[in-house]
Amino acid sequence: MNRLVIGIDTGGTFTDFVLMKDGKVRVHKEPSTPDNPAAAILSGLREMGVDGVEIVHGSTVATNALLERRGARVALVTTAGFEDVLEIGRQTRPAIYELGVTKPAPLVAAGDRFGVRERLDPQGAIVEAVDPDSVAAVTDRIAEGNYDSAAICLLHAYANPAHERAVLSALADRFAGFITASHQVVPEFREYERTSTTVANAYVGPIMRRYLGQLADQLPGSPIRIMQSNGGSISLQSAQRAAIQTVLSGPAGGVVGGAEIGRLAGFPNSITFDMGGTSTDVSLCQGEPGRTAESSIGGLPIRLPVIDIHTVGAGGGSIAYRDPGGALKVGPRSAGAQPGPICYERGGTAVTVTDANLFLGRLAPNHFLGGGQQLAEEPVEAAMGNLAAELGMEPIELAEGVLRVANTTMAGAIRVISVERGFDPRDFSLVSFGGAGSMHAAALARDLGIPRVIVPFAAGILSALGMLLADIVRDYSQTLLVAATALQPEVLETEFRKLEARALEDFALDGLDAADLRYERSVELRYIGQGYELEVPMQADFEAAFHEHHEQRYGYSDPQRPTEVVNVRLRVVAPTQKPAMESEPLTESDSTAAVLGEHEMVFDQQTHAARLIDRDQLHPGSTFIGPALVVEYSTTTVVPPDIRCRIDGHRNLIMEIAP
Amino acid sequence: MSLRPTEAGAEYDPIQLEVFRNLFHSTAEEMGVALCRTSFSPNIKERRDYSCAIFDGAGRVVAQGDHMPVHLGSMPLSVAAAIEDTSMGPGDVVIVNDPFRGGTHLPDITLVEPVFVEGATEPTFYVANRAHHSDVGGMTPGSMPLATSIYQEGIRIPPVHLVRGGELVGDVMSMILSNVRTPREREGDLTAQIASNRTGLRRLLSIVEKYGLDVVQAYMGHLMTYAERMTREAIRQIPDGTYRFEDCMDDDGQGNGPLAIVVTITIAADKARIDFAGTAPQAQGNINANYAIALAAVFYCFRVIVPFPIPSNHGTLLPLEVVAPDGCLVNAQAPSAMAAGNVETSQRIVDTVLGALAQAIPEIIPAASSGTMNNTTLGGIDLSGAQFAYYETVAGGMGARPYADGLDATHTHMTNSLNTPIEALEHAYPYRVTRYEIRRGSGGSGTWRGGDGIRRDIQLLVPAQLTILSDRRVKGPYGLQGGGSGRPGRNVLVSGDDEHELPGKVTKLLQAGDIISVRTPGGGGFGATGDGDAGS
Repeated sequence: MNRLVIGIDTGGTFTDFVLMKDGKVRVHKEPSTPDNPAAAILSGLREMGVDGVEIVHGSTVATNALLERRGARVALVTTAGFEDVLEIGRQTRPAIYELGVTKPAPLVAAGDRFGVRERLDPQGAIVEAVDPDSVAAVTDRIAEGNYDSAAICLLHAYANPAHERAVLSALADRFAGFITASHQVVPEFREYERTSTTVANAYVGPIMRRYLGQLADQLPGSPIRIMQSNGGSISLQSAQRAAIQTVLSGPAGGVVGGAEIGRLAGFPNSITFDMGGTSTDVSLCQGEPGRTAESSIGGLPIRLPVIDIHTVGAGGGSIAYRDPGGALKVGPRSAGAQPGPICYERGGTAVTVTDANLFLGRLAPNHFLGGGQQLAEEPVEAAMGNLAAELGMEPIELAEGVLRVANTTMAGAIRVISVERGFDPRDFSLVSFGGAGSMHAAALARDLGIPRVIVPFAAGILSALGMLLADIVRDYSQTLLVAATALQPEVLETEFRKLEARALEDFALDGLDAADLRYERSVELRYIGQGYELEVPMQADFEAAFHEHHEQRYGYSDPQRPTEVVNVRLRVVAPTQKPAMESEPLTESDSTAAVLGEHEMVFDQQTHAARLIDRDQLHPGSTFIGPALVVEYSTTTVVPPDIRCRIDGHRNLIMEIAP
Repeated sequence: MSLRPTEAGAEYDPIQLEVFRNLFHSTAEEMGVALCRTSFSPNIKERRDYSCAIFDGAGRVVAQGDHMPVHLGSMPLSVAAAIEDTSMGPGDVVIVNDPFRGGTHLPDITLVEPVFVEGATEPTFYVANRAHHSDVGGMTPGSMPLATSIYQEGIRIPPVHLVRGGELVGDVMSMILSNVRTPREREGDLTAQIASNRTGLRRLLSIVEKYGLDVVQAYMGHLMTYAERMTREAIRQIPDGTYRFEDCMDDDGQGNGPLAIVVTITIAADKARIDFAGTAPQAQGNINANYAIALAAVFYCFRVIVPFPIPSNHGTLLPLEVVAPDGCLVNAQAPSAMAAGNVETSQRIVDTVLGALAQAIPEIIPAASSGTMNNTTLGGIDLSGAQFAYYETVAGGMGARPYADGLDATHTHMTNSLNTPIEALEHAYPYRVTRYEIRRGSGGSGTWRGGDGIRRDIQLLVPAQLTILSDRRVKGPYGLQGGGSGRPGRNVLVSGDDEHELPGKVTKLLQAGDIISVRTPGGGGFGATGDGDAGS
């Protein structure tokens, strides 16, 4: 019995639906209903006429609760004397040279943080037993304190959860709200990051629990899985307990979708490039997306495995200006959606990247959002002229300069995830999506030596596609901090077994069978004394693998130097049944039928008569050569002169970038 | 491509200028990432007490990463010393830490490497990085002793080759490692520093390959005149005039104090003269700063008062004339002791310069921040018999701004280093942290409150030598416009039931079970509250 699966991505503006049936993709967009996100989901499903399908859903409910600070009222229990760890953070200020610098306020204020008398040492041995009186006093205050949820984070709880369990059980007797303890969320050392993650889970937990509960009630016939930041999905029930794992799920869905598109197109090594209005996300995929445990949201560290996405503050809305020293700057200030670029005519007066694209003919004024929004050229010309005069250059030169400067920032972001980590961009393909990405992709690829650009057939709904394709994935970890030479293989095996036992329990709750699971073991090592660890797949000689990885990443290694195992990690994957995406037969064609007309575009200060091409009229096998501007509903692709394009069997547009 | 003349007469393209600024800056940042992630000293890997920079063939700084402010402005003197004292060929690396030959204080070790473009006989660039090592020998573990001369503070390394033609100079390495308490860790850190420079070198060569040497060299020059223009623009926004301010260090750790730091700032159009005449003579104790540190502190002050980012390069320094009499506290000469000059006196130089500027631009300048890094070093023999040396700084309260409260428990001005996580600390060292909290009520009162300091209590599990270098233990950080001063810090030793106050600068052998409680100053307040409360 194969149930249909649908991916549903709730975004700020639209809720996207992707369904695959008989090898064909069906796509639907529905305006989002921020006050009740489930309403858009229900009406979209009705519109598509599907019922009883399995749903994989990505939601921004937890993300927005964190970013907009509309989460639960949380009480935090810490080791006595360490109530302020959450607020002190790492003692640093986020900007060194700003006298007006601010730090994000802690999610739990000082008066809501409570210490209990207890203490463990780094090995988990008890230094001071949990003091029942102080626990009773704290539970009283929390029970009587009108809190929605409680977080527990005690020192060294990763090494021994007994004390947290004791507090948790005492608290559960008195307090009916959402309770989460750090050993459940992230049993790893570094108290600030662990506390921050646990508190964030308590902060979004009640809200996600309510939202997902309502969703389940309204869709009684549909099993629902929830997208996580690690690129996998999880049962709705599990997501209610570990809501924090969903906060970066939207971008994660995009990367999973992008990587899958690259793989289908025959290019498993890809760099995804998602350029939106205010920021750009890039991620490197070697067969599958890379992961990291160092991420943050709204300035708060979240120490959980997530897809390794690097974000820079440059997008279509980034504002161009002349700085007092006479250089052309682009961003990080952004016109955002309001007032937006000048050409949107919503009150924007500052030249943005989008305006520069329009000025150079890299956007078609009559074809934006399927022609739904006319872009105004005249005010852009005036503003471009003024800024150009200020800088003492020609407007065309300025517009191309704005794009160059923006591209330098984005190329820098790609360098961070590739070159800086020992990867050569020439071995990768650029998978471009997001509203603005494909206007810049060809230039960026050329700049970095990336040989080809893939603009997916579903660039506008890639995140929903990624959700549809996401396996069920759970990550487990445990801090060990033991010298590799002192670590008996049996001990390591025991640690992995313990994690596997936890996984089996969790998957059993979701009704999944052990036989269906794939276990991926890895260890995180460092040279003894270093502060950062590298993850390598578990293998007999994992130390050798670590030396090699260190060499690749940092340019040197020292096989004589002792190493230590910081964490063991277990990733458990329950592969989902994936609808096959059929490749359509190629029909050779020169794309003439898709040409909407002629369109002027500027490259290297030369005006070219380019073709304006309708993406929807291209079919598998179509080929053409730039200069061209390819328009579709959700994005616009710039094809510079002499670049060869083809449409593959999955309707992806592929640009071959000559070196 | 249209070109515009700069003030120096050369022509540049505003777009290319921004592209190169970005390229050079990201190169320095890349070097920093490599160093931070592979080093061994907690000071480097966890606290990020390091800086990386790129220099042109004449040793003028082109770009520096956003790392430690105290290193900005002072690194060029290391490169200059390396160029002057040695002859560097391809694949050479020169090491230096001598405060009187281009260094700052001995724990800061700088590695300089020339970058030769193919076929060139002279370097096109230099890359350099500086990192604070956990121990470089000397009287006490952690190498921040209460010394009275440089000879007591650790191994003094003049500019010498650590690597020649790509080969490690074993003699030099061996000499250094024989003089430090934790040689294996030092070796690892130096390896990480070498690798960081290699990262910068590779990147620079690829930039030259892509843009061509002529263009790259032209833009190094353009970026310097650009930074100079920016700084002049910033100075022009300060009303012309002469502004004088005096603050002081509590003491020098040898029973002498207070010691005055006096500055007279003269603003004339787009130039500033910063004169430290009247400052106390160099001290018997280790709070001496050299000229490099004074320069770095002044540069920091001018950089933060402008609302736009100025790139950190040679040009920035040109409109600033920094004058300090030879042999005074902020231009100390050999063989004075220097350990605390970089970490303590540098903060007071900032307080003094900002105090003077507050008279000119009161709407911008905040009240004094905690003004001390509360350097705490502990060292001894751990339970396994191995030597250990641990160094940590503790943040304090930020001074209130004319428009906002100061931040609590945050590193300010010349430092922005991270704390060492308690769980990492206890794993690596025989200590137990018994308390880590915000020192409520320590910030100065005012319309805007000064930020609160921190209390961090550490219990020893084995005997260890404690050294604390802290200041603002007598006089609290000043308030402005009627705001109260921040509460001074305290160092308290708890031995069993006995609790007693330690001085701001102290070295002492502690017993297992002793607790050292470091309580850091709050920031000054801003604006009178009107209820007559002028501080704590």
